[in-house]
Amino acid sequence: MVSPSMLLIALVAAYPIGYAIWLSLHEYSVRVAGLSRWAGLNNYTEALGNPDFWDAMVTTLVFTAASVSLEFLIGLAMAMAMHAAFRGQSMLRTTILVPWAVLTVVTAIMWRTIFESPQGFVNSIIGGDTVWLGQEPHALIVIIIADVWKTAPFMALLLLAGLQTISSEIYEAAKVDGATAWQRFMKITMPLLTPAILVALIFRTLDALRIFDLPYVLTKGAQGTTTLSLIAQQTFAENRIYGLGAAYSVLTFITVMIVAFIYIRTVGGNIRGIAED
Amino acid sequence: MRRNRYLALLFGCAALMAGVVGCGGDDGGGGGGAAPTSESGSTEGAKVIDPAAMENAKGSVTYCQGKDTSGNAHYMIDEFNKKFSSQGLTAKLVEFPASADEQRNQFIQRQQAKSGDCDVFSADVIWTAEFASQKWLYDLTPYMEQRKSEFIPAPIETVTYDGKIWGSPESSDSAFIYYRTDRVDGVPATWQALYESAKKDGGIVFQGAPYEGLTCDWLELAFAAGGTVISEDGTKATINSPENVQATQLMMDVIADGGAPKAVTTYMEPESLAAFQTGNYTYMRNWPYAYALNQQAPKTKGKFAVEPFPSWEGGGKAGILGGHNSVISVYSKNPGGALALVDFIGSPAIQKAYAAQFSLAPVRAAIYDDPAVRKAMPFADELRQAITQAKARPVSPVYPQISQAIYRNVNAALAGQMSAEEAMQQAQSDIEKALATF
Repeated sequence: MVSPSMLLIALVAAYPIGYAIWLSLHEYSVRVAGLSRWAGLNNYTEALGNPDFWDAMVTTLVFTAASVSLEFLIGLAMAMAMHAAFRGQSMLRTTILVPWAVLTVVTAIMWRTIFESPQGFVNSIIGGDTVWLGQEPHALIVIIIADVWKTAPFMALLLLAGLQTISSEIYEAAKVDGATAWQRFMKITMPLLTPAILVALIFRTLDALRIFDLPYVLTKGAQGTTTLSLIAQQTFAENRIYGLGAAYSVLTFITVMIVAFIYIRTVGGNIRGIAED
Repeated sequence: MRRNRYLALLFGCAALMAGVVGCGGDDGGGGGGAAPTSESGSTEGAKVIDPAAMENAKGSVTYCQGKDTSGNAHYMIDEFNKKFSSQGLTAKLVEFPASADEQRNQFIQRQQAKSGDCDVFSADVIWTAEFASQKWLYDLTPYMEQRKSEFIPAPIETVTYDGKIWGSPESSDSAFIYYRTDRVDGVPATWQALYESAKKDGGIVFQGAPYEGLTCDWLELAFAAGGTVISEDGTKATINSPENVQATQLMMDVIADGGAPKAVTTYMEPESLAAFQTGNYTYMRNWPYAYALNQQAPKTKGKFAVEPFPSWEGGGKAGILGGHNSVISVYSKNPGGALALVDFIGSPAIQKAYAAQFSLAPVRAAIYDDPAVRKAMPFADELRQAITQAKARPVSPVYPQISQAIYRNVNAALAGQMSAEEAMQQAQSDIEKALATF
């Protein structure tokens, strides 16, 4: 059973990672076609010594923390609403999922219009002529709002799947025993939902760490919105400095791995504990 | 057990994510197998075209360009086949995506694969140096030397690198100042007076977002002020000069003094056009495409006109060239046929049709006097003037990085995050770094 899955992982994961690492250890000339040389760890030294890289790291982590926690809270509320049995439930489920179905680039253009200055929608509601995408930290906040709007439904969907696995008999038994709604939520829903919550958080966190399209369309990285993926893309695709660009993407990969390990370390035990209960 | 499954899942996901960027290596890199050469960036040894090869050329040639949204390329290919099929020469069109970055990628991929798929490519004016230094293009100097006098000189500048001419101008472009005829009599004679008037008479909008458009807007001022970006030979950064600091300062001042809305630091062409069309602004810097659109907008219709850029107080006039050049791939299997096609695109007949039917700015001066062209382009005189006074953007294989150094730092200065001096110092060190790229 192990070998076919290992083969698959090797094909879809190991090859591209290996190739990216190979590229990151070389320098490819932007002047002479086909000219390349071994660079050792030079690309990494340059990347790690670049203040722009560390700014991008901070931006990416701030974005991830803010957007994932907001998405979790809103997604949980949405999931509870979708789970409740009432007339029009399927209508609600469909409506909530609409933002998730919109292309990210379209989402970005839509929010760009909403936050346009001076005549945009937001400015005409709240008054004033704030240049939302032209100053810090406003630009990052707009990107976080756009991301939360788009992906909270995805979070909700994962949590809804978790809610549906909880047997209604447990709630009924608790009601008979006189548990309040809050007690039922804290003592039944939250513990039994934990595995789904963790999966949802891990998915969204790893996804958020490689955010690219929203800042690319909304600000092109200006006003403190350059993320790790953006710096890698700009170096690699726009400037065609393949070695350094690959080094940035490997560093992004390592960042994602570290965060993944922290998740496993701190909450992986929980999952196992629950599974063994 | 369960934990291991999560781990495997995470490894898989993270790997795929990193792969998004890592896999991109396939479109570049070049495999790294080629033997190193001692020349770094020079164009020595490039293949030179033989102008006689186009006489009685036969076979087929392929013309590659971006998506043919206005239909000019289909028209041109049809006309070419009508004229040359009797001598056994035919052309066909391959359309690339609409995005300029994607067109560049498509061409680069083919050249890296040494593919003769594109005999002739319609290259944006800013790509010449990069393509030429990679030895992807035929040196067209012997052909162009014979034709040079028929073209407006400025567009030829965009296709000249390392003392050689690498293509033939196809269409040109240069921006204007649009102004409201019901509010002012015309565009003041200098940039300083224009911005002064903008403060008093209703404002100006331009492109201040951090992207290629801001590089153009800034260069228009800086070149007029007498500034440069890199040295003649392309080896030194020269951006940190008093002229460029003044140009940057002037642009910052018009925003700080309320002559332009603070939001111009987020504007690209569509946003500035939308702002002008609200009727709230008197001036706008934009490309000729905005002319027809302003004629359709209720608040600007019949109430605007265009003029080429003013001069710098005590300095000169400038502008930035856009447009496309026809270049011939060094991997073409039919260079004679390819040259016949390049020659045809630059011919008076096609240049006239491009202007009169498809609103592309001609690269031949005489075409602007044609009645059909003047009817289609009421701004023909202003456009010829704008193109004639315009200059090429810095010609360098590392142009993308140079442009980033300009638009990032100028944008930060416009947004009030650094002074004009700091912006130019930072741009200088960024460009020095770019020029040192391997």
